[in-house]
Amino acid sequence: MKIETLKQIIKKNSLNEQFAIITNLSNGSSEIFKIGSSLSKNFINFKNEIENYYNLKKSGIINNTEIFIENYSKPVEVIIVGAVHITQCLIEFLKNLNFDVTVIDPREYFVTKQKFQNIKIISKWPEEVFKKIRTDSNTALITLTHDPKIDEPALKHALKKKFFYIGALGSKKTHKNRCKRLKEDGFNNKEIGSIHGPIGLDIGGKSAPEIALSIVAQLVSERNKTIKI
Amino acid sequence: MTQSFNYTILEEAISWIESGQQVALATVVQTWGSSPFQIGSKMIINEKGKFLGSVSGGCVETSVITECLELIKNKNSFKKIDFKVSNENAWDVGLACGGEMTVFIEQIN
Repeated sequence: MKIETLKQIIKKNSLNEQFAIITNLSNGSSEIFKIGSSLSKNFINFKNEIENYYNLKKSGIINNTEIFIENYSKPVEVIIVGAVHITQCLIEFLKNLNFDVTVIDPREYFVTKQKFQNIKIISKWPEEVFKKIRTDSNTALITLTHDPKIDEPALKHALKKKFFYIGALGSKKTHKNRCKRLKEDGFNNKEIGSIHGPIGLDIGGKSAPEIALSIVAQLVSERNKTIKI
Repeated sequence: MTQSFNYTILEEAISWIESGQQVALATVVQTWGSSPFQIGSKMIINEKGKFLGSVSGGCVETSVITECLELIKNKNSFKKIDFKVSNENAWDVGLACGGEMTVFIEQIN
């Protein structure tokens, strides 16, 4: 592989784009592929197969060829509401797992730079933020303030946009009351049932890192159900 | 899942090369059965045998490093290596899990 190709990969990653690296295993040549980009003579004969694998986000050696394709997909966006201690622990896990993280907390005193380095952090109310950022069924939401006036506008937005994962911190009692309010606001049982509450897999955790671990485990398990890599 | 870690490895590869080291890149390109790491897992190796990343759970790394050192020494550009199930011989390189995998090694230049 040429060092220029390597540098292109790093650059593409910083742009958060989907792309693939294709390698001809019989002559060692490799290049970056995106839909619409042209292929060199090493790969042009396999155009259809390459596009097929690319669209399926499938990686591997294309059947009956010596062409290896490795797909790099756009990281999944996780929005965390609440810049709390659990958030700090969550960020560490999420970075290693190739999630893109945005933290929202309107309470400025919770948002200090020391606690959250190199993370997109927005000190505004969730409803203002969601007017500006793009979200869809590939987005996840984790609410951690357990303050209804901060968490619930975010939950409502996530339900409407059908986020693939929605989790809300709070006890069984807190969650029951939350569900009641969402029902009064017109959400049906199926929608409300899609919220993971109390959030996280039951690993018996009590400390912030343990709770973060249980949330991340649940999130990853949901991601693996929806995305076939 | 391996994606973000791969970037760390590739970024490191660039910095090794820019500091004058020779670097080979190993990538898992095919797996059968219960092989430990998924397709796309990567490892980089310099001419002194220093490495970063992994292509299995430690089962075939030694062999991959040896092959990469040969590749760099002989100034070859690439090689495809197949690993199969190991037998009972503890010193034999192979995959204890019963899987099979193909690793593609190439020099970065």
